[in-house]
Amino acid sequence: MAELKTPQELGTDGIGKLLIRYAVPAMIAMLASSLYNIVDRAFIGHGVGPMALSGLAVTFPLMNLSAALGSMVGVGSGTMISLKLGQRDHESAQMLLGNSVTLNVLIGVTFGLLSLVFIDPILTLFGATDVTIGYAREYMTIILVGNAFTHLYLGINCILRSAGHPNKAMVATIGTVLLNTFLDYLFIMVFHWGIKGAAIATVISQVLAFIWQCYQLSDKSELIHLRRGTYRLRGDLVRNIVTIGLSPGLMNAAACIVVLLINRGLLKYGSDVAIGAYSIVNSIAFIFVMMVMGFNQAMQPIAGYNYGAGQIHRVLRVLYLTLFFGTLVTTLGFITGEFLTDFCIKIFTDDPELTVIARRGMHLVFLIFPLIGSQMVTGNFFQSIGMPGKSILMSLSRQLLLLIPLLLTLPRFFGMDGVWYSMPVSDALSVILGFSLLIPQVRKLKVIAKNS
Amino acid sequence: MDKHYSICIGRKFGSGGRNIARLVADSLGIKVYDRDLLKTASETSGFSEEFFEQADEEKTRKGWRSLFMGHLTTHGMSANNYLSNESIFNMQSDAIRKLHEQEDCVFIGRCADYVLRDSDRLLNVFIAADMDDRIERICRHADVTPRKAQSLIEEHDRKRSSYYNYFSGRVWGDPTYYDLCLNSTTLGYDKCAEIIVSLAKERLKI
Repeated sequence: MAELKTPQELGTDGIGKLLIRYAVPAMIAMLASSLYNIVDRAFIGHGVGPMALSGLAVTFPLMNLSAALGSMVGVGSGTMISLKLGQRDHESAQMLLGNSVTLNVLIGVTFGLLSLVFIDPILTLFGATDVTIGYAREYMTIILVGNAFTHLYLGINCILRSAGHPNKAMVATIGTVLLNTFLDYLFIMVFHWGIKGAAIATVISQVLAFIWQCYQLSDKSELIHLRRGTYRLRGDLVRNIVTIGLSPGLMNAAACIVVLLINRGLLKYGSDVAIGAYSIVNSIAFIFVMMVMGFNQAMQPIAGYNYGAGQIHRVLRVLYLTLFFGTLVTTLGFITGEFLTDFCIKIFTDDPELTVIARRGMHLVFLIFPLIGSQMVTGNFFQSIGMPGKSILMSLSRQLLLLIPLLLTLPRFFGMDGVWYSMPVSDALSVILGFSLLIPQVRKLKVIAKNS
Repeated sequence: MDKHYSICIGRKFGSGGRNIARLVADSLGIKVYDRDLLKTASETSGFSEEFFEQADEEKTRKGWRSLFMGHLTTHGMSANNYLSNESIFNMQSDAIRKLHEQEDCVFIGRCADYVLRDSDRLLNVFIAADMDDRIERICRHADVTPRKAQSLIEEHDRKRSSYYNYFSGRVWGDPTYYDLCLNSTTLGYDKCAEIIVSLAKERLKI
């Protein structure tokens, strides 16, 4: 989508057809990344043990933080590059590519080094205990050594998408998942390297994906390619990249605080095992959340274009359809979480204690899942029609504003269950908020549609 | 050589840039595109005009609001959001290019000099004026106190410059990027227009 022309099809083709056509590639990419988590955790759970799974879960907040920095550079430079390509200003796009590579290396290395130095206090803060810190440290040390490559790989993928190569970005994503699965099997099951094996597999697959990306971007006939003389940081470019990327970065960083509170709550009112249970519940929930996000990504251009073009009835139609698909997906999630619980848990572990806690967690977390789909779609809808304020309020409310106070209070009364309760309760409240914002908006749109 | 020529005029707030642009256009018998550009952009893209107004050069949000409200969604998601500032800017640029292909134009602001940078019939001008003169002008036109006028000037200049610098990657008002920089206080509007017209005739082979 380098040159964001206004394709006629968005204003004329059938909405259902458009939605599916835009949703399929988005969903594949989303599913690939949730599969990545499942595969890693499944091999660690079965191949190393339940405590290793908890050790892994303790590292999540740190991984979130690293991803936040990566997405800051990725989104910032991706946006700038697509703007410059839209203006056929290839020289500037080239400079941005080079600068983003340098920024990723700088931030990746600095973050990696700083975290390595303070690794034990950081992990303890995130909920590690004497039992789990060994696993967490072993895993994280290797991940942090490869941190710069993680940033480079994710950053360039963002750029490939903005530079009109969404398919190449998808190949890189899927390739990494497949490679990681194979290497996980090899290192953990065959070589018995333990949790270290999972980390090495992750780093190797990302390094190889990065090399492949570099190969793709070294083709001189491409509009933008890696070139000498573009790597020196330029103040104005860095400033633009950072200001654009800052708020998506902050949103990701906020996820870090939430996971930290969940981990600590589970540890305080439960045990190390409970943290591992959360990583199982979270992996399963993630699949369905990511699928809804796929539909959301597809809705954006369709709703935005038609809203801009004043075709309000088409805006409403795509909203209704996405609400339907979103709800369908999360209802499937509900059925999976509530009724296929043991099947899901078996993917990760056979340990009886872990199974009991994970089962309880899944039953509670998926409780009002059928309604979540519409909440997520609503938030994204506001963004599509140029109302970022409401959209941010929606996503912050579910994941932050409501969840954090609940996580801090409910466990005092209900113990470990309180941690689990926080999630459906915050979901339910944000669904109410969502509908109270959406219904007046739909009424307004209907009036406009009738008058035109 | 391009069939038509364009004169792009950048201006400090209250420097009389628009009046000078009118004088130039009248003398050459061509049209000035200021806010009308938004209308043209709306017609060529099929998007309603209000979106172009929202994203126009003096409407960009500032301070913390832009961090949290503007950037996250209108900037960050531009890859597939047609209502993002970037996408709106690209549609507006298409309108500028289309007008340049169709007729001789005077463009005021909106990065037209950057958008048309590859044209071989382009004259880029920047108009500035002394602060006292600008304050006096704004007081007269907007019926405000000199204090208020000064703060208006500062605000609008900041918005114009951040819009220009962001979208063009150049520096607003930096002489490097203009063929001609004029001070309307020392030269007067008529003289400014005269200089622009005579240079345009020579350079643009009118």
